[in-house]
Amino acid sequence: MLAGLRGSNNEGVLALVLVVIVVAISILNPVFFSLTTMFSIMRGSIVPLIFALGVLIVIISGGIDVSFAAIAIFSAYTAVKIAQDGNFDPGLIVITLMAACFGALLGLVNGAVIANFRLPTLIVTLGTQGLFRGVLIAYVGSKYIANPPMSLDEVAKTNIISIVNEQERGAFLHVLVVPVIILTILVAWMLKRTMFGRAIFAIGGDDEAARRAGFPVVRIQMMVYILVGVLAAVAGVFHVTLGRNANPQDLVGNELDVIAAVVLGGASVFGGRGSVLGTVLGVLLIQVINNSLLLAGVPTAWQRAAVGVLLIVGVGIQALSAKRKTKRSFVTAQLGA
Amino acid sequence: MLLILIGSFALFTYLQPDIFLNPVNLQNIMIASPEIGVIAVAMMVAMLTGGIDLSTVAVANLSAITITTLYSSLMASDPARAAQMMPFIVLLGLVVGLAGGLFNGFLISYVGIAPILATLGSMQIFNGLAIVWTGGKTLYGAPEELAAVGKAGVLGMPTTFIALLVIAGLVAIFLNKTSLGRKTQLLGTNPVAARYSGINSRQVLMSTYMLTGLLGGCAGVLFLARNPTSSADYGSSYVLLVIVIAVLGGTNPAGGFATVTGVVLATLTLQTVASGFNAIRLSAYEYSIAQGAILILVMILDQASTKRKLNKGLNKANWFKKKARK
Repeated sequence: MLAGLRGSNNEGVLALVLVVIVVAISILNPVFFSLTTMFSIMRGSIVPLIFALGVLIVIISGGIDVSFAAIAIFSAYTAVKIAQDGNFDPGLIVITLMAACFGALLGLVNGAVIANFRLPTLIVTLGTQGLFRGVLIAYVGSKYIANPPMSLDEVAKTNIISIVNEQERGAFLHVLVVPVIILTILVAWMLKRTMFGRAIFAIGGDDEAARRAGFPVVRIQMMVYILVGVLAAVAGVFHVTLGRNANPQDLVGNELDVIAAVVLGGASVFGGRGSVLGTVLGVLLIQVINNSLLLAGVPTAWQRAAVGVLLIVGVGIQALSAKRKTKRSFVTAQLGA
Repeated sequence: MLLILIGSFALFTYLQPDIFLNPVNLQNIMIASPEIGVIAVAMMVAMLTGGIDLSTVAVANLSAITITTLYSSLMASDPARAAQMMPFIVLLGLVVGLAGGLFNGFLISYVGIAPILATLGSMQIFNGLAIVWTGGKTLYGAPEELAAVGKAGVLGMPTTFIALLVIAGLVAIFLNKTSLGRKTQLLGTNPVAARYSGINSRQVLMSTYMLTGLLGGCAGVLFLARNPTSSADYGSSYVLLVIVIAVLGGTNPAGGFATVTGVVLATLTLQTVASGFNAIRLSAYEYSIAQGAILILVMILDQASTKRKLNKGLNKANWFKKKARK
């Protein structure tokens, strides 16, 4: 019975850890346990969750992408700047679509290099990260845009649930949670139920086997990176919307939190394993920890170290259990790139 | 590699001779290179085993911060003793580096975490500790002797540059002449074969990451010799840069092949390009574009040349395979 609750990627364990942490913090500081906190954690998860979905897809396909934050801010900033310079306000949907096109293009760059030349994904995306960010700041613009189009501002102020209670702390559930939930369900459906999703798992498991089984590996890898680019661009626009400013220096540097969330969610960096449910739980866990360290009386300076410890503990448990299963000690040496 | 170095040197000399060939500029290249070079050598050693070490810069900062805090607190209470203890404090900085490496090595070889993730996590931890320690501020009061050593020079060559050459030489001797170094190379070439030939891969990986940690500690000392302040986020752009340097220097990120000479030459080349970009007035962001582009280009070319070598024998078979795939 216990084994059934654990889930195929330890989702059950993760959910349990999440519940334990929430209960512990609530006991330490009862302020934490409220609708306000829950809604604000959900708001805080909007952008990381979309990023995490993209990273999950790449990790399942056996790669890793550290350029997604650069793609996100590149696409979002460029789209907002075009609207700004053209002095028109096309609304959130058109801006998102524009950004998605840029995202797809940049993703295609990653995909083309990785799939055609079969280079180590970490190093390629590290390179493109510098490339995208450099192009953005050197050629597109380095100015902080403090007043994005009005339509984004409108969205930023819209909540689907707002409870203003007698105390001054109201609870607001932001409207952008809705598209994120839809995206999450779409990605889960794609991974589980479509041929493309199956192909991603197959390539991540063993690309040679996938090739022999008749999957067009190069094309699917390209599609994976394009998809990640699109997801990153959407996350970038949402980030700009929520923050109500577009700063080209933003986002890059926070990749680790997202990768940590996905890996904690049970995705294997060797590829072929991972689930959307686990990723959602991983993102929530990191958000809860970031949110609650303060409430628990831990200085913010510890946040970075805390995420690092969390990542190492999470990955360490995975590695140890994998070792016990296979007893092949040289697996570690095989990851390499 | 030497050709590229001379080529890029010639290019910038041609483009902007007065600024670029200025002795101050040349001196600057030699002053800026050592810290990056040492970290790049560390990255190369990790890549040699098929791994990677993203935490070296964080380790270097932690070591620099340790030295600065210890020295400045001793200085406040007893200046004479501080000067006397200086070598021990610097040694302690190296020990911090070694300890960081020990932690990485433990995670990678005993727990079995993939090197990218282990060092990504430990980078975050070391960096987080440095932030907590310094409170995000820049620390002053590093040993003046170190700065003096950094400023001094022999025959126009800065001491730190000589330190880079010495460290690189020692690493080269370690890799090529000692049995542990040989084992490291073999482990990177073929982990399975290494295991079957009786190499204790745990021990080798452990010593590899201890070495990269120690090199990180050395880089921390060099940070202080160049600039007597330390902070948690010094050199955060170095992580990408040293990977570029290592790969440019002919290191195979999948493991098994790397040369120290290549890495040192690549360091000088990239520093030349950086100062050349400065001389022709291009921004730091354009330099970051160049870094990314160089990295990807070099890897594609490298891939193409190894493919050609492999294909020589199997040319026909491959041709048919490709045709069939299309």
